[in-house]
Amino acid sequence: MIRPALLAGPAVLTYALVLALPLGALLLLSLHGYDPTRGALPGWTVENYADLLTDGLFGEALARTFRVSAGVTLICLVVGVPEAWVIHRMRPAWRGVMLLLVLGPLLVSVVVRTFGWMVLLGTGGLVNQALLALGLPGAPYRMLFTEGAIVLGLVHVMLPLMVLAVWASLGRLDPSLPRAAEGLGAGPLTVFRRVVLPQLMPGVLGGTVMVFCLSASAFATPAILGGKRLKVVTTMAYNEFLNTLNWPLGAAIAALLLVAVLGTVALWARLAERPALRRLGAP
Amino acid sequence: MGFLRLDGVSKSYGAVQAVQDLCLEVAQGEFLGVLGPSGCGKTTTLQMIAGFEAPSRGGIWLDGAELTRVPAARRNIGMVFQSYALFPHMTAGENVAFGLEMRRVPRDERGRRVAAALDQARLSGLADRFPRALSGGQQQRVALARALVIEPRLLLLDEPLSNLDAKLRESMQAELRALQRRLGITTVLVTHDQAEAMALCDRIAVMQAGRVVQVAPPWEAYEAPSGAFVADFLGRSNRLAVRVEGGRGWVDGYGFDLPWALPPGEALLAIRPERVRVLPDAADGLRGRVGSRAFLGHSWLYEVETAAGPMGAVVQNTGAPPVAEGAAVALAWDADSLRRLGP
Repeated sequence: MIRPALLAGPAVLTYALVLALPLGALLLLSLHGYDPTRGALPGWTVENYADLLTDGLFGEALARTFRVSAGVTLICLVVGVPEAWVIHRMRPAWRGVMLLLVLGPLLVSVVVRTFGWMVLLGTGGLVNQALLALGLPGAPYRMLFTEGAIVLGLVHVMLPLMVLAVWASLGRLDPSLPRAAEGLGAGPLTVFRRVVLPQLMPGVLGGTVMVFCLSASAFATPAILGGKRLKVVTTMAYNEFLNTLNWPLGAAIAALLLVAVLGTVALWARLAERPALRRLGAP
Repeated sequence: MGFLRLDGVSKSYGAVQAVQDLCLEVAQGEFLGVLGPSGCGKTTTLQMIAGFEAPSRGGIWLDGAELTRVPAARRNIGMVFQSYALFPHMTAGENVAFGLEMRRVPRDERGRRVAAALDQARLSGLADRFPRALSGGQQQRVALARALVIEPRLLLLDEPLSNLDAKLRESMQAELRALQRRLGITTVLVTHDQAEAMALCDRIAVMQAGRVVQVAPPWEAYEAPSGAFVADFLGRSNRLAVRVEGGRGWVDGYGFDLPWALPPGEALLAIRPERVRVLPDAADGLRGRVGSRAFLGHSWLYEVETAAGPMGAVVQNTGAPPVAEGAAVALAWDADSLRRLGP
C-alpha cells in the first residue's frame, strides 16, 4: 500500500530539481559583489539590490515591462473574451476552423513571427509603403523599435492563450442560460455582459494572470521588436549576464522581476479574483 | 381559431428531420401537453415556439400575429427550462427581476412586482439567496416566478418537474395546475412522463418521430388510442391476437363477446391491465399461471403467463389475501374493455 503523498514524489522531486534549485542558486548569486577583473566576489552583500533600486535605467525598464504587460493583457481581454464567445456560437464545422486560425500564432516559431512583424513595421515596410501610397501626412511613421511594436508582437502570441482559457469556461456554461436571458427580453450584448461573462470569470481571470506573467517574462519579442535602446527587465538581465558579464547584478534583476510579478499576481488575486469567484460560489 | 397555432412546421438538421409538418392549435387559457419519447421532436417544437430555433418550413402564430421571424427577446413568452437555467451569479430576487429590468420597469415598481412574485411562489425571505443555496423545489419555483413575473402571453414548460423527487413532484404538479387555472395563462408543457402530462393537461399531443400522432384530452387518448404507439405510450396495454368465429372472440379455448361485429378470421385487440379480472382456476376464462406479482399499495400487479403470451392484470387492493405466485388462474374481461389496434 503506497501512501498518497508518496505518489506526488516524482513530481515534487522534478520541481525541486528544475525549479527550486536554479532559482535558489540565482538568489544566492545575486547576493555577491562583482569586479570586472575578478568576476563574482566571495563576500555577501545587498549592494546589487541597493544599486538597482536607485538606478533610473532599471526603474524605467521595470515601468516599461509593466506598462507593456498591462497593455497586452488589456487588449487580449477586450479582443479575446468576445472572440471566444463568438467562435463558441458558430456552427461546429466553422468552430474547428476558427479555433485553428486562432491557435495559428502558437504554431509559428517566435523568431519567424517576430521577424515577420519587423518586415511589416520597418520604415520601408509594407505598412508604411501602404500609408505612403495613401498619401497620409507624416508617413512613413516610426513603428519599429517602439513600445507599440512590442505590445503588438506580444498580443499576437498571447491572444490564443486568452481564448483558450476562456474556452475552457465556455465548455462548462449551461447552454440554456443565454437562452433564458434572451427569452426574458435581453439583446445579444446584454446576454453576453449580464449572463455569459460572469460565468466565464474563472477563465477570464486565469487567462489574465497567465497573459500578464508571460508578457512580463517574455524575452525574444521585446528584444527584437524593441531594439537595443528600449529595454525591458528581461532584456536588461540578459545584457548583464551575456554582455557585461556581471552575473550577480543580472541575478538581482531577475530576482526583482520575479518578486514584482508575484506581488502583482497576489494583489490581483486579492482584489479581483477572490471577490469575483466568491460570487460564483467559491468558498 | 387557436390562440397559438403551429401551421405545417418542420425542422431539419442536415439530413435529420426533427419535426415534420406539425400542425397544432392551442386555445386561450388551455394547458397543452406535448408528450413523447426522447428524440421525438417535442423539445425542438418548444424551442421553435420560444424562438430559440427557427423552423425550416411552416409558420407559428400567436394571438393572430405571425411569430416565426420575431426574435425570442421580443416574443414575451415565459419559459421554464429543464435545468431551470437560473443565473448562478444572481440572487433569487435578481433572477426574478431580470426580465422586468430588460423591460425598463422603474425600480420601485420592479421591487414591488418581484416581492409579489416571490410571495406567490412561497419564496418570501429567500430573495437574497443564491440559487446554489436553494433546494430543487425552491429553484423550480424561482424559475417559475421568473417566467411569470413578466406577465407573458404564453408559458412554456420544458420537463419542469423531472429533476424533483417523486413526492415533491406530485405536490408541485398540483401547485402548477392550480396556478395555471388561477392565472388562466395559455401553457405548453413538454414531457416524456405520461403520468405528468395526464395529471396536468387539458389536452395532450402525443408525438412520435417528429410527427403528432394524436391530440386529445388525456382520458380520451388513454381510452381510445389512435394506434399501437399511443396505446403503449400512455399507460400499458396487453396485446391479444384473437380468432373471430360466430361473432365471438376466441383465445386458447376461451370465448368472449365482442363490442363490434367482426368478420370471421384473425384480429389484434388490446386491453388495459386494470380491465382484466383475475379469477380462480375453475372459472370461465383464459387459463394462465401467475409468474410474478408486485404490490403497488392501492393495487396488486400480476404478470400472468398464458398461451396468448404474458398478460398484465391490476387488481385493486381490498385487503383480501393476494393470489400466490405460481398459482393457476383464469383471466376474464368485459366486451367494452376491448380496443382494436389498427384497421
